[in-house]
Amino acid sequence: MTVPRAEDTLPESPPVSTSTGFVAGVAEAAGELWQSRELLYQLALRDIRIRYKQAVMGFGWAILMPVMVVGAGLIVRLVIVRSTGAALDTADFGAMAAKAVCWAFFAGALGFATASLTANVNLVSKIYFPREVLPLASIAAQLFDSLIAAVALAIALPFLGVHVTPALVWLPVLAFLLVALTAASGLFLSCANLFFRDVKYIVQLLLTFGIFFTPVLIEPSMLGTTGARLMMLNPLAPILEGVRLSLGGHGLLHTITEQTASGALIVVWEPWYLGYSAAWAILGFLVSLHIFHRLEFIFAEYL
Amino acid sequence: MSPQADSPGVFFEHVWKRFRRGEIHDSLRDLIPAVGRRLFGRGEAARRARENDFWALRDVSFQVQPGEVLGIIGGNGAGKSTTLKILTRILRPTGGVAAVRGRIGALIEVSAGFHQDLTGRENVFLQGSIMGMPVALIRQKFDEIVEFAGIAEFIDTPVKRYSSGMNARLGFSIAAHLNPEVLIIDEVLSVGDFRFQEKAFGRIQAMSRSGIPVVLVSHQLDRVASLCTKALLLQQGVVLHQGDVSECIDAYLSGGMNLEGSKDQGSPIRLSACRILGGHNLWWGQQAEVELDAVITGIDRSTFDCVGIRIRALEGGREVFLTSTRLAEIALPERGTVRLRLSLRMCLPRGTYTLEPLVFRPGEDQVLCTGPISTCHIEVAHSPLGRGTVDLEPRLSLNLLPSTAPGTPVAS
Repeated sequence: MTVPRAEDTLPESPPVSTSTGFVAGVAEAAGELWQSRELLYQLALRDIRIRYKQAVMGFGWAILMPVMVVGAGLIVRLVIVRSTGAALDTADFGAMAAKAVCWAFFAGALGFATASLTANVNLVSKIYFPREVLPLASIAAQLFDSLIAAVALAIALPFLGVHVTPALVWLPVLAFLLVALTAASGLFLSCANLFFRDVKYIVQLLLTFGIFFTPVLIEPSMLGTTGARLMMLNPLAPILEGVRLSLGGHGLLHTITEQTASGALIVVWEPWYLGYSAAWAILGFLVSLHIFHRLEFIFAEYL
Repeated sequence: MSPQADSPGVFFEHVWKRFRRGEIHDSLRDLIPAVGRRLFGRGEAARRARENDFWALRDVSFQVQPGEVLGIIGGNGAGKSTTLKILTRILRPTGGVAAVRGRIGALIEVSAGFHQDLTGRENVFLQGSIMGMPVALIRQKFDEIVEFAGIAEFIDTPVKRYSSGMNARLGFSIAAHLNPEVLIIDEVLSVGDFRFQEKAFGRIQAMSRSGIPVVLVSHQLDRVASLCTKALLLQQGVVLHQGDVSECIDAYLSGGMNLEGSKDQGSPIRLSACRILGGHNLWWGQQAEVELDAVITGIDRSTFDCVGIRIRALEGGREVFLTSTRLAEIALPERGTVRLRLSLRMCLPRGTYTLEPLVFRPGEDQVLCTGPISTCHIEVAHSPLGRGTVDLEPRLSLNLLPSTAPGTPVAS
């Protein structure tokens, strides 16, 4: 039998080009995602069931990480109080607990989402379905955990000095931006981890130390004017600061200044911070979805 | 593309698929030095990578229309799985066009989505969703699925406590209740125990005869012969033969034999052809006329002394019948091309059989070499009065003996 030399006899018709425009690509991906919403639900349900089956902690698991974060924050604040001699403000702990829930969601979801494609090798290499559902289902499962923690938090907040104000309407907006930002990062990183297996170690490292570059335990104003501005470059920072300020009764559509322990006035919020985070979250999600969708056809070859 | 532009179908036009061997950087730590090498090595690494490429499919084309069942056969590494993965959109072709019109149901890796810690019930919904079934449909067919798998009493037990057979049966059962417009089947005919295999085969038969386009990959050639309306033989990614199922199976089986036989090139005899005259589909009891051509070149008669033919059942490969010129006391000439004509009355049960020409060593039943194989398919015209490996043409009669019941009239 003579095998034709592949290089000499390449087909006349080139491979079907899928380099459709950005809008068309995203629209196609979004359409497929919408059709697979039941699968997304089933996969998220799978992750939740596995997490709570044969688990000693039960729902306590959902609040473990936020509690740990708040504990760490307590120590950081005690150190500050000891070294500066300022008073410990208990009202800050309500906001810190809320930010801890947000951080726990982000860190947990990103960890699971990054590994989601490589953890489901047998599915990705054998059965066709829009692969976007795998990282998104990990995020949805983590969202369920965080909702439990949020309910626990909602019960605790009144005792920590947080009152119901009109500014609380910002919380759903901020939650939406947080989920969108997490989905954007999760889609991109799961895809990157499929091609380069050390991405998940990098993500672990970033999540371990990222808490120091994000205003969870501290507030940006503690770093002074320049430090606060730099920290706000982190797309997650305006979301967390927004949570803190809206719990404190501030609307987010005007500039907010706060007095630091040393007595200086520092601008802690500008309205465009919200737009900055929203741009990262929404544009980031669309770009990640586009990249993911373009690359998912070669996933099976790289697993 | 096709006359029926809207009907479901499978279209594979000049499909090429290239895989890369080696040099896949799967960590950033490997990538960075590799990029450096590529930049400073003047394309050395890129050239080496291109040499390592291999083509899993080369210019493969076929079409499957409604009502057609295509069987893809070939040895390991022939490109069968790659073809199915392209059809199911897991892989994308390097060149050419692969398109499936209609909702695909794939009986491939039927329990890949199972999670060991979840119960059978939870896994039915999970696996069904992964295969693209709407949850409402799963709910509606749930009882049927469990009933078919025969595991009703274990449906709320975690799958990790299932035997591997139960696992596979449940997986198959979910896939078998998809409502596809195009069916793709990969080697799932050997699921579970014998009884379940028969049940699964019946189900696949019913699905493939419902008029939808079907693509089937199997190593069980008897199943291919009985299910498929056409076939495709692949070898190392190239289409060797396409069309008639029997011809493809013949070419596949003969191809394997030739590779074995190619070791002794200096053989004094070569079997060049084996033909069944008047078609490969025979009725029970029909006379099959078989022609066998042999080229005798050697004078040394110590290596062989007769030619013959062996009939095997394709299912299981069991020998059904064997005859030779020695048994018929026909002597072979010293040299020249001979044509042996055999007339065989095919009193065989329904099924597919292979006719295998053979050369025997002198004085014993040891085979020196084999020739090209033909298959024939035996249909049974009447309903057979029994079953088994041979047809004994039974005639049954029943008489009531007069001594056992005195006084009653005896029916004759």
